[in-house]
Amino acid sequence: MTPERCYPYATVLPVLVVVALFTVYPLLYSAHLSVHENVLTRPLDHDFVGLQNFREVVTGYYFWRSLWSTAIFAAMAVAAVALYGLGTALLLNQALLGSALLNVVVLLPWAIPTVISGIIWRWIFDGDYGVLNGLLLVTGVVNRYVPWMSQTFTARLCMVVAHVWKQGPLAAVFLVAALQVIPPALYDAAHIDGASRSKAFRFVTLPYLKPTLALVLIYETIVAIATFDLVYVMTGGGPADATAIIGWYAYTEIFRFLNLGHGAALALILGVMLLGLVMIYLRAFRSEDAA
Amino acid sequence: MTGGRARRLERVALNVACLGVAFFILAPFVWMLICSFAGEAELTRRPPVFVPTPPTLANYTFIFTGQLPRDPARHGIFVWQTSQEVRLLLPALRNSFIVAMSVMAANVVFGALAAYSFARLRFHGRRSSYAFILISRLMPAVAVAIPFYAIVQQLDLLDTYRALILVYLAFTFPFTIYFLSVYFRYLPAEVEEAALLDGCSRFQTLVRVVVPCAAPGLVAAAAFAFMTAYNEFLFALLLTQTIAAQTMPVLLAAVATNPAVSHALLAACVILAIIPPALLALVLRRYLTRGLVASIAR
Repeated sequence: MTPERCYPYATVLPVLVVVALFTVYPLLYSAHLSVHENVLTRPLDHDFVGLQNFREVVTGYYFWRSLWSTAIFAAMAVAAVALYGLGTALLLNQALLGSALLNVVVLLPWAIPTVISGIIWRWIFDGDYGVLNGLLLVTGVVNRYVPWMSQTFTARLCMVVAHVWKQGPLAAVFLVAALQVIPPALYDAAHIDGASRSKAFRFVTLPYLKPTLALVLIYETIVAIATFDLVYVMTGGGPADATAIIGWYAYTEIFRFLNLGHGAALALILGVMLLGLVMIYLRAFRSEDAA
Repeated sequence: MTGGRARRLERVALNVACLGVAFFILAPFVWMLICSFAGEAELTRRPPVFVPTPPTLANYTFIFTGQLPRDPARHGIFVWQTSQEVRLLLPALRNSFIVAMSVMAANVVFGALAAYSFARLRFHGRRSSYAFILISRLMPAVAVAIPFYAIVQQLDLLDTYRALILVYLAFTFPFTIYFLSVYFRYLPAEVEEAALLDGCSRFQTLVRVVVPCAAPGLVAAAAFAFMTAYNEFLFALLLTQTIAAQTMPVLLAAVATNPAVSHALLAACVILAIIPPALLALVLRRYLTRGLVASIAR
């Protein structure tokens, strides 16, 4: 082959090799682990156990508990990110001084590591010395410090706030882009037809926003379900496993209980769940394309 | 006129709402900044001292030089001793930088080469390899944590920069390829054709004609790759064991989950650690926004 004909293969190959090394092989390896006994505290037993790991995981108490915690966290987080993102996007789309200011800072939380956003919010919500408690005390809203992070509901809420702070900007940026392609003539037409601003929002803005909003919702669901860093630094899964969502649960199976078989089975279940969501995501996107 | 007044009121309300959101975004940063100039004793009061007077540089001095504060009572000398790990922040930041810069450079070079081929050339397996690279990104990270560890162990790369760089390349290549090939496809093809007619090879065309035109896209792709590598936590936690390769998020997570941590020292660490990505986000705002918007059509 001439150099010119080799050129495309030579340029694509390095990328392909790196990606394949960390995709195909790991998946096969995970599948292998999941059907064998593999507990690090019993290093000599590696029997083939079929689907036993899956059965043990799925019938376990903690699995359903963590699924429940995951569902609660994901539901709250996705709804909050969508609302906050939409609100911020509508504000960013105005011709105001405030919008210009907001535009400068909006990406900041998105840019910093999730671990750090967890550290910051954990310190703000701290039950002993947190600044939130300090402010509420000074303003007289509470008369003694509230242990936000040690109560089931408030701990979940704290995590959602940290998550929204970090993830919201991304949703807002996507939605602004969608808002900007709405032809202004449509609003003029709605105005001439006597539509109120809320009606214009409902019948002009929302239909245009719908595809992007759907994508944001599904993308954010995936992100929320796969959350790990925040749990690690903020709550360690507590209190009483209230924030032990499934990614964290898989991690503890592997690294606390050293049960690689269980961990791999769990990870694959999580993978299939996320893949299912991705399929829905892609299908939604394709049907929007066709429309 | 009532209409004008209502309109003015609405503008005020919207401006206030903007300020409210900006406050929500900025307040956590501001509080960390304040804490980083405070003594531990001021932060462990109820309520805390909201404005430390006078502000002290002792936290930063300790991180940089290891010098203990002159005013031990204000700084809670006990928690300083249990927070010695913050002295490792600078080596951890150096590790983060080396890894993130390497990932960024490799993404720009190999990513641009491959993306250009995907965008402009016809060759066997083009569609399938492109689809494969994009789909690989949908794989959830936790699902392959153990195998990644095993691969890195087999390559004898545990606790090295190279392991992290390899893994992050596998994470960042898909987005870079997607992003740049879309970008390249939107460039006018005529200039490239002229260069090819003048006897340039594909590689020369890429370097001399395409790269200068695509500079904004390359900058955005580089920034994304840098941030992904700089911010990653799970795999850095798994694949590194000592400060020889431990990156900043791993170190800060360890410091922060220590129950006897000095919050003033931790705050100073956070401020130092977020400077690079925060600067990138502020300076490259426009490029990044455009890139993010392109990425949703993944």
